[in-house]
Amino acid sequence: MSTEAQTTAPTDAALQRPRFSLRFSARDLLRVAIFAVIFIVATYVIGMLGILSPLVWLVIVLFQAIVGGVTVILFLTRVKHAGMLTLFGIVVALFYLLSGNTLLSTAGIIVLALIAELILWAGRYRSKWATIWAYTVFGLSFFTPFLPLLTDRQAYFASSSWTQMGDDYVRASDTLLSTPVIGSLAGGTLVASFLGGLLGSAILRKHFVRAGLA
Amino acid sequence: MSLRRLGLDPRTKIVLVIACSIAVMSPAGNRFVPYALLLAIGLAVWEGEWRRAAGLPMVAAAMWMLGWLLPVWWPNPLTAIISIACVYLIRFLVAIGVGAHLIATTSSTQLAAAFRTWRIPRPISVTLAVMLRFFPVVGTEAAAVLDAMRLRGLIGVRGLMRHPVLSVERFTVPMIAASLRASEDLSASAILRGLGSHRIPTSMNAPRFGAPDLVLVLLVAALAAAALLLPAPLT
Repeated sequence: MSTEAQTTAPTDAALQRPRFSLRFSARDLLRVAIFAVIFIVATYVIGMLGILSPLVWLVIVLFQAIVGGVTVILFLTRVKHAGMLTLFGIVVALFYLLSGNTLLSTAGIIVLALIAELILWAGRYRSKWATIWAYTVFGLSFFTPFLPLLTDRQAYFASSSWTQMGDDYVRASDTLLSTPVIGSLAGGTLVASFLGGLLGSAILRKHFVRAGLA
Repeated sequence: MSLRRLGLDPRTKIVLVIACSIAVMSPAGNRFVPYALLLAIGLAVWEGEWRRAAGLPMVAAAMWMLGWLLPVWWPNPLTAIISIACVYLIRFLVAIGVGAHLIATTSSTQLAAAFRTWRIPRPISVTLAVMLRFFPVVGTEAAAVLDAMRLRGLIGVRGLMRHPVLSVERFTVPMIAASLRASEDLSASAILRGLGSHRIPTSMNAPRFGAPDLVLVLLVAALAAAALLLPAPLT
């Protein structure tokens, strides 16, 4: 059992080039689980600050993307073989699904995790910049809850109550739901997750390497 | 006897959450929102979760006022934006209300047993079950860090906007460090108890479709029929 040998002697594994294996040891699964929980709790705590007003809500998404970076970058330093980031994405997506997220968003998170895994694989699971770019892609998962706004935009305007609410109302909502605004939110999330990756990498060096946690 | 207490099959709860989320998030989803809200409140009352049972209708009422009444009383772009956010978020509220029941009432062993009967791949089922066990631990650590930050006056939206990087760092670093330390013991004990071994465990109370599940299915069918047949109040 080569995977079990890896968990007891991680120094050996670090010397070899990573082989493609999708076998997870118990310790790998626990590691994915603990970081997934930290990821969800950290973003939830930051998100709770956004409950105060719907206007802060959109800005908070960017903060969540930054905070997620610290967790994921630290997680990626402990990833030594293929599939762990994908598993991370799948369990986070399924957990969100079980606590009431949309199917579209769940599928989106899993696809993003797969792309991020490919980036990591291209960097052979060792490159620092590959982890930052992988998180930049994965950070877009904070945008996925907004996907239904793009798909059922027509349904919003088809309902009868819109006609009674006046022109101002329809115009304002049309601008808010328009593709440029939602697109710039996606762009903002992308930039924020890149910054989150950089911040995560800096915090890693500043705190966790020194404390022996990375 | 907690073991003999009537409870829902975890698989019923999982299907229920996913069905509610699909119904509520679909393009004509607002039609289902009041009925899903009734279901979420009913589940909370059934489990004796009084805070959730009272909180859900209060938040929903606030969102309804901001989302449907405010723009009619005072139409302008600002209230329109608030209204759209609330009309969108009220769907999440009811889906999360039903999901909270699943998360609060399912133990990690029950969830693992349910996934095993569904033949979900081992890495996914084990990881999700362990996550359910880790949540209270990480939640406690996060609450402790937030308390410490509050004591020093470091918390608040204004501070977050003024020093975003510093606030993020002050919260996440101690929280991650404390959680990792706390998780070491849990991981060791989980591995000792055979987590991740390739043998198939047997469960003390295996998931079975029972009388409570039948009642719930009939109730949900009635609510869905009502949502489709009665005139929709929230469109």
